[in-house]
Amino acid sequence: MISALLFAVLMESGSAAAAVQSPPPPAAPRETKVPQPVEKTLANGLRVIVVPKPGIPLVAARLVVKAGAAADPKGRDGLAQLTADVLTKGTTTRTAEQIAQGVEALGATMSANAGWDSSSIDVSVMSSNLEKAMEFVSDVARNATFKQKELDRERARTLDSLQVTLEQPDEIASLVAARLVYGDAPYGHNLAGLPSTLEKIKREDLVKFHRTNYHPDNALLVFAGDVKPESAFTLAQKLFGSWKSGAAGSQPAEKSASDTSKPRVVVIDMPEAGNSAVVIAGRGIRRADADYAKAVVTNMVLGGGYSSRLNQEVRIKRGLSYGATSSFDMRADVGPFIAAAQTKHESAAQLADLMRVEIDRLASTDVPATELVPRKAAVIGSFAFSLETTSGIVNRVAALALYGQPLSDINQYVPRAQAVTAEDVKSFATSHLASKNFNVVIAGNAKEFIEPLKKEFSDVEVISKADLDLTSATLRVRKKKE
Amino acid sequence: MRRLTLLFLFVAATSRAATSIPPIEYRHRTLPNGLEVYAIQDRSTPTVAIQVWYRVGSKDDPEHRSGFAHLFEHMMFKSTKNMPSEMMDRITEDVGGANNATTLDDATVYYEVVPSNYLETLLWAEGERMGSLDVNEANFKSERDVVKEEYRYRVLAPPYGMLFNVLPADTFVKHPYRRPGIGNIEELDAATLDDVRSFHATYYRPDDAILIVAGDFDSQQLDGWVDRYLGAVPKPSTPMPDVNVPEPPRTEEKRVAEHGANVPLPAVAFTWLTPAASNEDAVPLTVINTLLTEGDSSRLEQKLVRGEIAAEVFSQADLREDLGMFAVGAIMASGHQPVEAEKIIREQIASLASQPIPAAELQKAKNLMLTSELRERETSEGKAFDLGEAIAIDHDANAVNTSLTRLQSLTAEDVQRVAKKYLVDGKPVVITYTDQGEKK
Repeated sequence: MISALLFAVLMESGSAAAAVQSPPPPAAPRETKVPQPVEKTLANGLRVIVVPKPGIPLVAARLVVKAGAAADPKGRDGLAQLTADVLTKGTTTRTAEQIAQGVEALGATMSANAGWDSSSIDVSVMSSNLEKAMEFVSDVARNATFKQKELDRERARTLDSLQVTLEQPDEIASLVAARLVYGDAPYGHNLAGLPSTLEKIKREDLVKFHRTNYHPDNALLVFAGDVKPESAFTLAQKLFGSWKSGAAGSQPAEKSASDTSKPRVVVIDMPEAGNSAVVIAGRGIRRADADYAKAVVTNMVLGGGYSSRLNQEVRIKRGLSYGATSSFDMRADVGPFIAAAQTKHESAAQLADLMRVEIDRLASTDVPATELVPRKAAVIGSFAFSLETTSGIVNRVAALALYGQPLSDINQYVPRAQAVTAEDVKSFATSHLASKNFNVVIAGNAKEFIEPLKKEFSDVEVISKADLDLTSATLRVRKKKE
Repeated sequence: MRRLTLLFLFVAATSRAATSIPPIEYRHRTLPNGLEVYAIQDRSTPTVAIQVWYRVGSKDDPEHRSGFAHLFEHMMFKSTKNMPSEMMDRITEDVGGANNATTLDDATVYYEVVPSNYLETLLWAEGERMGSLDVNEANFKSERDVVKEEYRYRVLAPPYGMLFNVLPADTFVKHPYRRPGIGNIEELDAATLDDVRSFHATYYRPDDAILIVAGDFDSQQLDGWVDRYLGAVPKPSTPMPDVNVPEPPRTEEKRVAEHGANVPLPAVAFTWLTPAASNEDAVPLTVINTLLTEGDSSRLEQKLVRGEIAAEVFSQADLREDLGMFAVGAIMASGHQPVEAEKIIREQIASLASQPIPAAELQKAKNLMLTSELRERETSEGKAFDLGEAIAIDHDANAVNTSLTRLQSLTAEDVQRVAKKYLVDGKPVVITYTDQGEKK
């Protein structure tokens, strides 16, 4: 009797004091609710999509025009972005200052930017001020005046920010990689332009880009947050209903990517750089590709998130970098696959080698279930997390609409990711992830890594940063004849 | 910071604001071992955020070990008695969650978001690493290399990385806030595994920690798990060391010329000393920060960027536990010199102090701060960060809500008084930043 009582007491204090040696298992999961988009197309062709998410009194909205940097005319690189920059700097009834004052008095943020396949005006505002904020979106989208003075000002800012960009090894390596993957095709240029192309852009170019592409029948309007669909539709009708339809956009989107050219190994010598950046890049897939889910899962295995293979090998096992990542930037046409990391100069060749080995390993061996299951969970988890904010929802839904995917696909993301098998990953990697098809770019202090790199590759091109010309795939400034 | 990318090295003090924000409702209790536990329930999505705030930060770096608190933060993802290295990733990322950590001047925060059915697992894991750390030499050296890479990535590679790295050193004279949290290569190299063990024993203890759980949980279950996994961690008998170094007031303005590699455009920054985050003048200082640089209509955006003198402007009310730093600066436009921005920054600061700002401008700043706070509160993680900052930095959990009331009632005279007291009567340090090629 006594010993039984004593035993019970010991048991209890034992469980409270001693550490539990293995992790307690998870409870049964609760289902994640995916917010549901509803849509309506106005008579002028504007497609309006609303994703209600009550709770916090906040709305994110985006007006998307289906033309971006891929539509930059030859030699006018940066036009789409510059058009977006100047768009918010004056309309027929408001100056740049009045627009900034007016939007910010509401506590709202408004910004306009170009992507590769689209240009967007984004707003984040408390729901009670939604209509007033959307008035500004409507005004700049429809009535922007593109004053010469504002163009000059924005161009000067872009040129200054380019000076900063072009001092950074990671930025240089990415820009060079885009040229190598796409040559002179539209996706090969810098989205923000370069000094020589920005100088050529005239006011008429902006006006024409706007006139050609900013039309309701070439646009989407997406709302997410504390707004009812009916009131958003009414608001859209009120502010955009009289926007005149026009000829559809200027963009032959399927010609933005060139065919594969021979992969190259290029070093940009930057002796003063603080570290070296390594980029391995090639052609990826279109957003509308049937292999979308396979690409997302395969990339999560290779270079998405912290525990991906690239980060395991490069950071966790060897301490060679703060982080290594990869991505498929899926676009209207074939977007790039990019793997990137930075390291001290003397490790750059080793880093490039490790990354290429990991890329090739996907096609040669099966991903074990013990790896595939958690990587798919990471895909699904980051999808769910992105839907917790109004801006995250707008991103997801606007991309579906822009790339012609059914909005109901928002419900298919999880089951499609779940359905990807080890064979899918292997076959996808076999057709899309072979390092022999990829370019290698290293920007950094060449003398610290050039010897080991030359042992790995027979034909390394070394270009001094002073001789780098990003306007063409030759990459070299043409020397003047003496 | 373990893996987030930040343009500037100093972490933004969260702005807090005015009308119609629902308050953050939290439940608080203190365990017998001293652990403070806060819970914010929100069952709208099946996820939960877990944060452990330790009241130890970069200001507690040991002597000649600048960067150590941050290096130590990285070691907390390695093995414990019952967890192999990187197990935190297995029970977060691998199940659809995420984890990270950040080292502030005054605190180190470990944070996770997971599907809520993993809450118990995570509480166990946080108890594990609070109770024991079992790292080896190989782990330590490899992770130290990662931190050195982080230093190159944040400080050496970006053209203005070094500017933001040196601001605290040029601002504080005596207080350990003067040392940058990321450290430097030499002092990181000097750190040893014994330093790691002794740092854990000294600072990682329940009576020095705050647990915040926000999101989807059952309160009774939560309390049981917290008692079981974190209540079991013993409270050490040794006292908690505290930094107690008074920063002398500035008696005169100071000028410093700093240099970096590959700096295409010169820059200038002003810094002033401010009171601690818990001071009643903290809210007006964050309003001044908003007035100066938040949005295209802000004063310095208008005067310097629209005025085509600067390419970029920045400011920061970097309020901390002991005292703070208010920083304002500009990266010049091509062909312009820091002296031009310096003149306008001085004029704008003087004008904030010489007359009350217009009512509409004050309301604009309040609305911007309110909306930004709404965005912060969209997620359980955002709410937990707000609360943690109030507890650890402001020393008042309720400040998470009262600072909004304070903002709401703030007057133009408050702004004027505070601008005069700290920015006009206070003496600035003026830092110019140019390419090292110009160093003579």
